[in-house]
Amino acid sequence: MRLIQLLLILFLSSATTLPVVVSADVVRIEASPPDVTLRGKDSSMQLLITGFDATGQSQDLTHQVKYIRSSAEAEVSPTGIIHGKQDGTGTITASYKGMSVEIPVSVMNSQIGRPLSFTNDIIPILSRYRCNTSGCHGKAEGQNGFRLSVFGFDPLADYHAITMEGRGRRIFPASPHKSLLVQKMSGALPHGGGVLIPPNRAEFRKITDWISTGFPWEHPSASTVSSIALTPTQRVLRMGETQQLRVMATLSNGEQLDVTELSQFQSNAVAQAQVNVNGQVTVGQVPGVVAVMATYMGRVDVFRIFIPEDNPIREDPKLPNSNELDKTIYRQLHKLNITASAACTDEQFLRRVFIDLIGTVPTADQTASFLSDRDSQKRDKLVDVLLESPEFNSYWALKWSDLLRVDRQTLGHKNAYQYYSWIKESFRLHTPMDRFARELITTSGPLVDAPAGFFYKSVKSPNRMASTISQVMLGIRIECAECHHHPFDRWGQTDFFGMRAFFTQVQYKKSARGEMLITKGNPVTKHPRTGEVIQAFALGTQMPASTPLNDRRDKLANWLTAPENPWFARNIANRTWAHLMGRGIIEPVDDVRLTNPPSNPELLTSLTKAFIDAEFDFRKLLKLIIQTDAYQRSSAVNETNERDEQNYSRFLFKQLEAEVMLDAICQTTGVPEKFEGIPTGSRAIELWDSSVPHYFLKTFGRPVRATACECERISEPTVGQVLHILNAPGIENKLSHEAGTIRKIANEYDDNEKAIQRLYLTFFNRYGDKQELATAVQYVTESSNRRQSLEDIAWSMLNSLEFLFNH
Amino acid sequence: MNHSSRFCDGIKRRNFMQLGAAGAFGMGVSLPQLLQSEAFGHNQNRTTSDVSLIVVFLQGGLSTIDTWDMKPNAPVEFRGEFKPISTTVPGTQICEHLPQIAQHQDKFSLVRSFGHGDSNHGSADHAMLTGYKPAAGFNGGLKPNNQKPCLGSIISKEQGPRGSVPPYVCLPKMHNSAGSSFLGATSAPFVVAADPNAPDFKVPDLVSPVTVAASRLDNRRSLLQRINRYQTTVETQSNQNAKSMNTFQQKAFDLMTSAATKHAFDIERESSQLRDQYGRNSLGQSCLMARRLVQAGVRCVLIDHIDWDTHYNNFHVLRNELLPQLDGAMSGLLGDLDNRGMLESTMVLVTGEFGRTPRINKDAGRDHWGPSTTIALAGGGIRGGRVIGASDERAERPATTPYGPADLMATVYHGLGISQDRTFYTPDGRPIPIVPGDGKIIPGLF
Repeated sequence: MRLIQLLLILFLSSATTLPVVVSADVVRIEASPPDVTLRGKDSSMQLLITGFDATGQSQDLTHQVKYIRSSAEAEVSPTGIIHGKQDGTGTITASYKGMSVEIPVSVMNSQIGRPLSFTNDIIPILSRYRCNTSGCHGKAEGQNGFRLSVFGFDPLADYHAITMEGRGRRIFPASPHKSLLVQKMSGALPHGGGVLIPPNRAEFRKITDWISTGFPWEHPSASTVSSIALTPTQRVLRMGETQQLRVMATLSNGEQLDVTELSQFQSNAVAQAQVNVNGQVTVGQVPGVVAVMATYMGRVDVFRIFIPEDNPIREDPKLPNSNELDKTIYRQLHKLNITASAACTDEQFLRRVFIDLIGTVPTADQTASFLSDRDSQKRDKLVDVLLESPEFNSYWALKWSDLLRVDRQTLGHKNAYQYYSWIKESFRLHTPMDRFARELITTSGPLVDAPAGFFYKSVKSPNRMASTISQVMLGIRIECAECHHHPFDRWGQTDFFGMRAFFTQVQYKKSARGEMLITKGNPVTKHPRTGEVIQAFALGTQMPASTPLNDRRDKLANWLTAPENPWFARNIANRTWAHLMGRGIIEPVDDVRLTNPPSNPELLTSLTKAFIDAEFDFRKLLKLIIQTDAYQRSSAVNETNERDEQNYSRFLFKQLEAEVMLDAICQTTGVPEKFEGIPTGSRAIELWDSSVPHYFLKTFGRPVRATACECERISEPTVGQVLHILNAPGIENKLSHEAGTIRKIANEYDDNEKAIQRLYLTFFNRYGDKQELATAVQYVTESSNRRQSLEDIAWSMLNSLEFLFNH
Repeated sequence: MNHSSRFCDGIKRRNFMQLGAAGAFGMGVSLPQLLQSEAFGHNQNRTTSDVSLIVVFLQGGLSTIDTWDMKPNAPVEFRGEFKPISTTVPGTQICEHLPQIAQHQDKFSLVRSFGHGDSNHGSADHAMLTGYKPAAGFNGGLKPNNQKPCLGSIISKEQGPRGSVPPYVCLPKMHNSAGSSFLGATSAPFVVAADPNAPDFKVPDLVSPVTVAASRLDNRRSLLQRINRYQTTVETQSNQNAKSMNTFQQKAFDLMTSAATKHAFDIERESSQLRDQYGRNSLGQSCLMARRLVQAGVRCVLIDHIDWDTHYNNFHVLRNELLPQLDGAMSGLLGDLDNRGMLESTMVLVTGEFGRTPRINKDAGRDHWGPSTTIALAGGGIRGGRVIGASDERAERPATTPYGPADLMATVYHGLGISQDRTFYTPDGRPIPIVPGDGKIIPGLF
């Protein structure tokens, strides 16, 4: 029997639909909560039943147990939801394979409706059934004349829409069932959104009760929601396993309320775990860490899942140089039963670190000399050299010019160049990142002397300044909150306009040294809906009673760059980690929120602390990460980590950025590119203007710098890219160019094997192995044109994944 | 996924037509789309998802008061110099300088109560091709300037490629609002930045450079298989982008050796009689190319034809240059599609970004006019010979229920079998419905 069950599980695991995994070894079951008290009409409670095996390993049995009630005071659904029916006490028994647990239930005031209010009781229903999303009545024009605010951010307007507009037909207190609202939602009248709330639902009764009691806006005794909490908060779940969640709301009067049925759920990694509308999580077949969030009335909480590989790993690799960061990674991998890949070779390290630090591939000579170097410290020494090279400054200026929007079309040629030069100079001067941020935020004076001020010229409005600074410097996207409460985070319009108020003093005036940026006056920022005055205040801080008269941006910069700021150092650390490792600890890097937690919190904490301890020194941060085992791992996969992209168990392939790839083609072929309006000999990573027309760069996803989003730089391959490298006459010319590398190699090396070895060093930054050399030598020997056959080999190398990716 | 069988179509490299292309973000095809479209080829039973779209965009703004919606009874400073003529549809009249189109009036319909109120180039273009008015911060000069995806990108994203040709093509250049916005490079158009009317027309990158002989390409390809050591390794399978690149490389070879692609871009294969019929000019030959591409499986062709911004000498320019070109191109296209039985499966939309001021200006020209214009639609289930709605006496405003870009999107997607309720999400999770607001199918067209 056990064997059959095991086989069944194995069979199901390989099926495409996710099976429910239930092991047979449960020895004990528990109920949460152990006893239930329901107060008031229509109150409910989601039970959670957990089974434990002999080793203490838990599993969710909420939907598997059989529920029996002792009397009529409460009903219980097969999914474990108890609804109070009449006053009294009794028990509900949950049983599973001969084991059972009794849950005492007491129901009080079951016929007394809680005082209903529009905001507390009706808006959550409209949100739960997605009536107020922008796909339905929440869009700007509403749907068929019925318009609600998105996610219910403007309850008063919604109240008016329901109770007064539509010639009063939407509600009908004398006969609530005849209300248009009720008839539409229950399907009594045709509804474009379908039948949402049939009459047997508690929500149906709540809405009709609210209408029949005179559709109160606010009830004097109604309390608001202070917070919500998910149960459980964290679990290790096996692949294919399920877990029911419960959401409890704490009201301002201290009362606790089960709001599971009215909450909305979302997983941050759908491939790893999905969650349905009832709050049941189903784990997929990919190991790792997932956060499932619940939202209810603007409050959020997360449930964190650990999904280990099925088989415990045999041993941890003992790698010599493990630092603090590595320890946190190994701990996580151990919990997930994932074995890390082995260390990378010198060849891999060399190419990897060149591309990551200076956006440049090593030359054949650099490769040969590094590989023959016997110094045990050669990797560290190489890093030091690269960090001080001029290409380092160009490459990082390019990356930050994308984020800070060095936009020639907006700024004009000269201004954009000055702005870019300021960024590049900051890197050359080793400006610590906190000072860099401070200079950018507080810059003032004639723009020729303070070119950081072009940031404000490029971004233009205080609204965009607020959202851009938040996104780039803190990794937080607040632009949603410009119009409505952030759907997945705590930020509301007050928070957005509090940030905006820091930037409203920015003005320009003429001076002897040209245009100058000044801050002036005491402009007032008002909440766009309520009209309340909002003082300048930073995210997550208290709004002060007044705003200082001097430059408000100083206050923002002080707050932002303080070591105790919860986001700034963490954001720079995470972005840098993501650049080197191919994936952020928080991913995407510029979507930091409570509901998108780090995949490895301890790692991010250690990294952030190290960055602060290094006084925000960007080069030290890079070096620290490069020195980890995690960075210096091979990209080869093993059975345990082939599906893992999240926990740094192997080095992830990264497609070369547009500029880096073009430079790599120019360097390896030995034929530079000429860019319009830029001095000859300039490299693509030195292009400060992202609008320099260039087919290759455009095709390979150079960003247009229209937003501060990392996602602008397109990193997905396309057929057009592939075709271009295969066939572009420009690239073919470089391969066959008379002053190019291949012609030189053909002339310099009479020996075919030596010539081919030189091609391997040039294009792949490694020596070819015996078989590779034999293949290539044979190709050359069989060809009637030696030079052309060497070009063919180089062409094949350019089109290989080994060249197109950093690996 | 074994694509290797697709290489072997027996096509000799020598036969290859020189194809040129300069794709902006070029022919993006995502892996999932690609995998979905495994069963490529020429299919089976036609459903609405087999309907293709050709957009003839008359950039600058077609003067519809002089063409589709004439007002012969309006005062002289409005009605202009042209006379209406009768068409194959009794009661429907169009401009005397579109005599050939008049013979096809039964194949297309006009929506005369159309408008959006935006009289600026750029933002009006964006509205007409995405359905969405641009929001603050719009920079019409960007290429692409899309804040929302162009309809071609939606079609590409939603339906994926059909056969070995790209799903969405722009001709003979990239229209500024033809971009894919947040749908990304994989839904961007394949831009053929070359004029099909040019004697040396070709699309770059689709075949090897002329310096590389045919036999050499075969050698290179087999050499690449051996040198590209990651091609078959497990780590490539475990890295999504490497896996996509790998797949795309197979796909690219496929495209290079694809008879369908080669054939489609080879406009020389058309009889010179038919080419003459479409008109030996950029608009005419672009329309002919569009038909060839659709025939080969392209789902959306966007023709961006410029020079319609007739602020000066409106009547002279229309009479002597633009209208004869439109007359040949559109009548050629409708007649050709019909003769081949393709009209039912090919929707054609002819529009500018706006109309032109009904009152003639001091330079005998007409200026930008967003409040009222007329759009022409044919095929793909659209009934012919109809006139939907009417403008007022001077064609200044719609006189009957007005329709706008959102309705146009609803209409086009309906014709192509794409659900109007479809919503895509921006990277920050914002839902963007493909049909904005209250866009509704324009009644009477289907």
